[in-house]
Amino acid sequence: MDLNLLAQALVSGILAAGLYALVSVGLALAIGVIGIVNFAHGEFFMIGAFLAYQLFVSFGIDPVWSLLLVAPALGLIGALIYTSTIRFVLKAPELNQMLLTFGIGIILTNMALLIWGGDPRTIAGIAYRSIGYQVGGVSIGLVPLASFVISFTLVLGLYWMLARTPIGRAMRAVAQNRTGAALVGLEVNRVYLVAFALSAALAGIGGVMIAVIQSPTPGVGLAFTLKAFAIVVVAGLGNIRGVLFASLFVAISESLVATLVPNGDTLRNAVFFAIIFAVLVWRSRRVA
Amino acid sequence: MLHIARRLIVLVAALALGVTTAQGVTIGVLSPLTGGSAGTGLAQRAGFELALQEINAAGGVLGEPLRIIVEDTQANPAVGLAAFEKLMTEDDVEFIAGGFSSGVTLALIESFRTFQPIVMWIGGAVSGIGIDGFDGIEELIGEEEWFFHVHPWDYHNVEAATAFVADTGVQTVTLLHEDSAFGGPGSAGAQALLEDAGLTVPLREAFTSTLLGGTGDFRAAIAKAAATNADMLYWIGYDSDVVPLTSQIRELNYRPQHIFGAPPGWPSEFAAAPEAQCVTGLIGFMPNLPTPEAQAFTRAYVDLHGAEPDNYMAALAYANLWAYADAINAAGTTDQAAVIAELQTGTFRSPIGDWSFQPSIIAKHQGFTTDLWLVFQYQNGVREIVWPLEKATAPLVSCR
Repeated sequence: MDLNLLAQALVSGILAAGLYALVSVGLALAIGVIGIVNFAHGEFFMIGAFLAYQLFVSFGIDPVWSLLLVAPALGLIGALIYTSTIRFVLKAPELNQMLLTFGIGIILTNMALLIWGGDPRTIAGIAYRSIGYQVGGVSIGLVPLASFVISFTLVLGLYWMLARTPIGRAMRAVAQNRTGAALVGLEVNRVYLVAFALSAALAGIGGVMIAVIQSPTPGVGLAFTLKAFAIVVVAGLGNIRGVLFASLFVAISESLVATLVPNGDTLRNAVFFAIIFAVLVWRSRRVA
Repeated sequence: MLHIARRLIVLVAALALGVTTAQGVTIGVLSPLTGGSAGTGLAQRAGFELALQEINAAGGVLGEPLRIIVEDTQANPAVGLAAFEKLMTEDDVEFIAGGFSSGVTLALIESFRTFQPIVMWIGGAVSGIGIDGFDGIEELIGEEEWFFHVHPWDYHNVEAATAFVADTGVQTVTLLHEDSAFGGPGSAGAQALLEDAGLTVPLREAFTSTLLGGTGDFRAAIAKAAATNADMLYWIGYDSDVVPLTSQIRELNYRPQHIFGAPPGWPSEFAAAPEAQCVTGLIGFMPNLPTPEAQAFTRAYVDLHGAEPDNYMAALAYANLWAYADAINAAGTTDQAAVIAELQTGTFRSPIGDWSFQPSIIAKHQGFTTDLWLVFQYQNGVREIVWPLEKATAPLVSCR
């Protein structure tokens, strides 16, 4: 076994966990606070990627700076979608909620297809995408490292917000008991609106990162949505704290299998489905 | 009553003779207009639109304007099957054009056989020849008279790529390939041909394309390739894999002499990206191909669509529709046997040059073969043709 390969696999897995955590925490927020499984989460992510691309092409804005524009834009889009659609199905059966968010995802995908077409887009002219620092035979990519630092900072910031700020405490209260929170005077609908907008904004930031790492296409969100669902399941539905550790677990497992097994990259999806399966079986046995 | 009977007799006679109605000839087109392969499908549609405009400006087909009905397959076998059956049962077309994705093509073969229209197909390269336990398109189609395959088969692609690799003088080649009916058989064929040519292939490793559910993190596969220290990295994947793959090769400090890719298309803005420098690729058509046909096509394409064709499927679609128009006009009828005879014997125009159908290993009608392929290299933001030498616009440079 080549130790350099093993070390590279660990480093790549740890760095990949940052983006996974960022995408997943938004989904966990929607599930945990609002109680809705948002199947359009990957499409928010995709819209974020395309907005970063468009800001670069139209105004020459580097993705590093477009983060500051795309996050509020996605927050606004999320707020509009919540106000115009989601809030009407909060008390509807779960299947209706899922169908609604699934439909929103299809609409967003086709809007992207109309506006940007189906060709993979490229944010060209950014040299830092290919930079890697060599540390003892292991390469640490600048973009994955930055993405890891930004993602973990944001996720930790979200934890802090939930624990220490009035809106964060309101979100936790609403998540625990919607009726009770309303009875003590919290505006539940406003809390949901903020939580959904924040979830979309976090997806938007992830989208900007993916616009740098690969080519935005209308279907770019799907793979990350699947990862996010896996991580949210491993963490426990709505468990925002668990997302960080689950992201590390899923990303490192994938990277090790991809590196150590011949043709292992093709087993990445099998790895996270196996993890979901194992976690669900383990939980059900524990409950029994 | 007599009047109605007379009209019925005329209609039946017209149908029996294969004469078109006043609406003219309609050709059904299957292309992926949405989904991950939409870039290729939209390029096909752009090529069809240009050919349609020119054909109708030149008098149409059988004296009437030609019509096309474009149906979206989404590069999804189930959607493609429904789209084909809609063309056959609702639109009553007799001719099918377009096509993309070996998976969709494989799913359609039985339905093609049921309806048996003339199918002139510009996608689906997986022949199945040389792969044990897998039946490819050419093997399943066999010697059907009504099937005309325009795009080269996978063994033609591999022959061209292998000839280029051998011409570069490299000794070792690592193969990375996406893991579907496109990349798997293609890379197996490439490995066999490269080894037959005396080259060493220390690693053939699969990855999941971003088009098919991958997240674009190819570092594990690239790290394994880097460990072989091969002279060339030869990868087979899709256009959405280009940016992550080439940037991660640099990020992981892998410096092969040549990075050679064979996706169906390349992202149009990739030329300006720093990681594009020195990357080489296999392609079926380039706007700067120094031939009169290519230049005329590129000018007309720019006039109609406002940009140069950056996906060779536009050129194949253009050739596809013109071949139908010329064959039906030469036959003077839409009668299937007559049109097939014209397609079998005719020589057709294309942006790549004149072409015709010849038998391939199994199939009776194969259009383009190894000669279609060019190799380009990104050099200072421009795609230069570097192979074959007689068509080259610049010499090949090493990445080291």
